[in-house]
Amino acid sequence: MDRIGFALAFAVTLVAGMAAARADFEIRYPIVDYREFEFEHNGSTSVDSRSALNNNQSYTFELGYGLFPWWEPEIEAPYNAPPGSNSAFGGLTWENTFELADPGEYWLTPGFFAEYQHAASRANADQFTFGPTVQREWNNAFGSGLNTLHTLNLLVAKQVGRNRNDATPIAIAWQTRLRLNQYFEPGFEYYGNLDTIVNRTTVSDPTHRIGPVVVGLVNFYRYGALKYEAGYLFGLNNATERGTIRWRLEYEKAF
Amino acid sequence: MFGRRFFALGLLALLIAPAAVRAADANYTLAIKDRKFDVAELQVPANAKFTLTVKNLDVVPSEFESTDLNREKVVVGGGTITIYLGPLTPGRYAFFDDFNPQARGTIVAK
Repeated sequence: MDRIGFALAFAVTLVAGMAAARADFEIRYPIVDYREFEFEHNGSTSVDSRSALNNNQSYTFELGYGLFPWWEPEIEAPYNAPPGSNSAFGGLTWENTFELADPGEYWLTPGFFAEYQHAASRANADQFTFGPTVQREWNNAFGSGLNTLHTLNLLVAKQVGRNRNDATPIAIAWQTRLRLNQYFEPGFEYYGNLDTIVNRTTVSDPTHRIGPVVVGLVNFYRYGALKYEAGYLFGLNNATERGTIRWRLEYEKAF
Repeated sequence: MFGRRFFALGLLALLIAPAAVRAADANYTLAIKDRKFDVAELQVPANAKFTLTVKNLDVVPSEFESTDLNREKVVVGGGTITIYLGPLTPGRYAFFDDFNPQARGTIVAK
C-alpha cells in the first residue's frame, strides 16, 4: 500500500475517545525527519482585560521518531490551565505526521496529520483530529531575491464515546516566513477555529488570530539541533482574547 | 457557514494542487564514498529547477542535509535518493552529512 493509501486508511481507522479539544497554536509541517528523535515543547498563554479570557495557559511535551521516511509518530502530554484554574493533565495524545511527497517534487508538498487523544477524565470524551497539511517554497518571490516558505493546515476534529459533543470543530492554521538565514526567519501566522468544543453541549463562537512569528534553528551537528518558534497573536474578533503569546522548542538528533 | 464553505474549497484545492507535476529537470549526481562527498563544490544554473541524485556507495547510512536549501534526507547504505531543488537565487548553499558532519560540500548557483 503506498504512503497515501496508508495515511488515509490510518485516519479512517483512527476512531476512539479522548479529551475535550482546545485551541492549539502549532503549525504542522508535512515533513518527516526520518531516523531522527525529537523532543518538543509547545506553550501558549493568553492576555486579555476580560478575566474569563486572560491567562489561559496550555503546555505540551512531545516525543517523536521518524520511523519511516514518510511517517513520524509522536506521543504528546498536554497540560491546560484555563483562566482561574490550576494546570491539569489533558490526557495522552498519539500524533502522526505523514509526508506524502518529497519537498519540491510537486508544486505543493502534501502531507497528512492524524491525532488521537485519550481523555484524562471519564467526564470528558475522546477525540480524533485529522486533515491535510501542505507547504510551498517560493524562492525569489516577485523577483525580490527573497526566499519564502508557506505552510497551511486544515484540520477537523470529532469527539467519540461517552460525554461527546457531536459538533465538528475545524482548525485552520497558516504560516508564511522569509528564509533569511537558519537562525532567524521572520514571518506571520493565522489561526482560525470554528466550533471549538467547550463542554458536552456547548461550542464557542469562531475565533481568529493573526500575528508575527520568528522561527530559527541552531545546528550542533553530531550533537543534534535545536529549533525554536516564538510568536504573538492578536485576536481579530470579540470572541478571541486580545493577545496570545506562543512558543515552541524542539531538540532533534539523528540515530 | 462562510467558514465551512471556505474549508471545503480549501480541501478540494489541496487535493488537486499537488497534481501539478514538474517537467523534466536537469539532473546532477553526488556520491558518498568513504564517508565523504565526491564533489566539494557543485555548480548549477541559478533560477532553474533541477534534481540531485545522491548515491551512497558505503554500507552505512548517510544523510544529505542543508539548512540553506531546506532539505534533509537519509540515504541508506548502498541506496540512492532524489532531491528536488530550485529555482535557487544566485549564491552558495552549504550541505553536509548529518551522520558524519565532517563530510561537507557546497552547491553554487550562478
